[in-house]
Amino acid sequence: MEIVRYDINRYSPGQMVVLPLVLLLIAGMVLAASTFMTGTPVELGIDFAGGTAVTVFTPDSVAEIEAYFADYPLLSIDESVNNGKYIKFGPMEDDQFRALSEAVVDRYPNAGIDQIGETFGKTLQQQALLALIFSFIGMSIVVFIAFRSAVPSIAVVLSAFSDIAITAAAMSILGMPLSLGTTAALLMLIGYSVDSDILLTSRVLKRKGKLAEKLGGAFRTGFIMTTTTLSALVAMWVVAVAGQVQIIAAIASVLIIGLVIDLMNTWLLNAGIIKWYVQKGGNR
Amino acid sequence: MNRDTLKKLVTDWQVALVLVLVAASLIGIYLAPPAFQNGIEGNLQFGLDLEGGSWLQLEFQSAIVGFTTDRPMNEVIPELEQQLDTQVLLIDENTVEIQKLYTRAELEPVFAAAGAQIVSYQQGVSQETADTVKRTLEEKVNSLGTMDAKINVLTPTGSDYPQYVRVELAGVDMATAQEIVGKQGVFEIRIQTTGNESVHVVYGDAISSVSPPSRESMNGAWGVPFTLNDAGAEAFRQAALTYGAVDNPEAHHLVMLLDGEEVFNGALNPSLANQLRSQPVRSLQATTGTGEEGLEDAKSLEIHLRAGALPVGVQIVGSGSVPAALGEQFKTMSILAGLLALVAVGVVVYYRYREPFIVVPMLAINLAEIIILLGIARYIQQLDLAAIAGLIAVLGTGIDQLVIITDEVLHEGRVPSPNLYMKRYGRALGIIAVAASTMFIAMLPLALMDLSTLRGFAIITILGVVIGVLVTRPAYGKIIMAILSK
Repeated sequence: MEIVRYDINRYSPGQMVVLPLVLLLIAGMVLAASTFMTGTPVELGIDFAGGTAVTVFTPDSVAEIEAYFADYPLLSIDESVNNGKYIKFGPMEDDQFRALSEAVVDRYPNAGIDQIGETFGKTLQQQALLALIFSFIGMSIVVFIAFRSAVPSIAVVLSAFSDIAITAAAMSILGMPLSLGTTAALLMLIGYSVDSDILLTSRVLKRKGKLAEKLGGAFRTGFIMTTTTLSALVAMWVVAVAGQVQIIAAIASVLIIGLVIDLMNTWLLNAGIIKWYVQKGGNR
Repeated sequence: MNRDTLKKLVTDWQVALVLVLVAASLIGIYLAPPAFQNGIEGNLQFGLDLEGGSWLQLEFQSAIVGFTTDRPMNEVIPELEQQLDTQVLLIDENTVEIQKLYTRAELEPVFAAAGAQIVSYQQGVSQETADTVKRTLEEKVNSLGTMDAKINVLTPTGSDYPQYVRVELAGVDMATAQEIVGKQGVFEIRIQTTGNESVHVVYGDAISSVSPPSRESMNGAWGVPFTLNDAGAEAFRQAALTYGAVDNPEAHHLVMLLDGEEVFNGALNPSLANQLRSQPVRSLQATTGTGEEGLEDAKSLEIHLRAGALPVGVQIVGSGSVPAALGEQFKTMSILAGLLALVAVGVVVYYRYREPFIVVPMLAINLAEIIILLGIARYIQQLDLAAIAGLIAVLGTGIDQLVIITDEVLHEGRVPSPNLYMKRYGRALGIIAVAASTMFIAMLPLALMDLSTLRGFAIITILGVVIGVLVTRPAYGKIIMAILSK
């Protein structure tokens, strides 16, 4: 494919892994700084922090909506095309929530409402964290079983870890909240990221031939794989944003960021490690 | 492609399997039972966010406490009940359910005073109580006519006891949903006078507590123990004396009504009748009968005695509603997103291979994968927005893996000799099997966790990966081989 100018065989393993490792380090610092300043590595959405979200289509301006909900702990109003609004409120007492849901229905009978209590949000947080840990451990075990060799397995696991860490840092910088949907996207990223890593590792370690040819071939296949997936996700994202389908838009945007980062991690970090491993004779 | 190739293809078992499954799925979605009136949706089930409706997530205000004591249980438990002002149920040898939410720190001194020591504490209820809650809620919903309702008891991962119950009501707004869940019926106890006539004795507010069904030691009959308050017990005694139930129990049955419907009809027990002659009796038991049937009746009666009140307090910890119109719009958007994703994938793949003989089978197999997935999902999983995101993600991984197969088996657009082809084909399947296993493992926790609203997402993704790796992707390899070797 002509648009890709990256020649995987031009650089030494050392040169290849520098950029991803530096980014991983920066991501670590961003997440640490965010934890230090706000208490969590990534901003928590209402699923985890508690609160209320209202999805509505209305020609009302943001100022009008703000005025209407002046009595409630309004956090933000996101606008999208064709008058879609996504209004977020902080946690509130039961009575106030009842009053709010009546106020919403009065003015916007076709609004969707979602509310999560603060303590329930904490429970969901713990559950999501458990899911993330179990997924990651499970993935690592499968990878180790598949390759039965330390360096290639560690390379795959490291690049999946780096995908998640850098994507989370990007979410933190862009102010994309962590919700159930985006947690699912991060889990899915574990699966997606390993796809291209396994392709790379299998091609290089299990096929005969020149290393440069195998790397080049793996890259061509891997790149087309990731771009087709990206195209499906971009289509999904465009429609979801236009139609104000919050959860799908959130899943799609995290996956898009994650897959772009995965391109880097697979073809610089993982490929760099594999190249070094084969050149030093680890394949025998 | 000529007739021979086609014949060879259809007789290949992997390709045939795909065709059979696609046909079966289409039949399941549209024909069994016929669902033409639903248009493109057929028999697929949709979640609340696409169908419109409301959900409430309720948390049990109750604790399960394990403890040790040297004293007999029948002394400790009444003391606890009195101190804590709530029912305390023994659920196994040394574990109790306290039907009011106290923190462990609040309970420690109370248990210490009763000569017991707490060894474990968890928020939640026993499985039996959770079942009663579920049945009570189901009964309330059913009493309002046919309504599409789902009531699920949820146990957080890492906990041993149910802690939440989730109520989903299709086509109902949130205010109505809250009303239905909070609604209580009117319960009344009456006494038979002559013939079919009866008179009022007490209302449900005279019942101070209701216990789960228990078995009488004498005859093994099931019954529901309950207690009346002092005023209620006095009224009960007076009625039994006035209408002659004490002297002739068989002719003067007790009748219990919930919202005007009879839920119990039975005679006063002779020994109870004797007791009533001298004093009011607070603790009563309504006997329903022996065996399985007696137990089932007792369970229903327990719910009726509570008149729709739940055995433990609940708090709304989450809720939501989607109006039907918004759900409809989400549905349209989801279909659009899926179609656009398929087109986008088609364009990219065509740009890469420029070969209709590769691109068309690729997209066809992808479509087949989604049809089979929907065909299975129709029976096991309702589609919500998250599940649709999963569906589109599956489309993405599906194409990924078809690209792996294509690039693995083809060399500069040509198909090698059959032997070499099969070897490479096997290697490609090896790669996708490993990739699929990791996706499967990564999604498994979400699919198993009770609490996540992302079960649909995880289940659809897992299903898609499994169908892909076992059925459709191997078939694709065969199709490419048959078409391109010509």
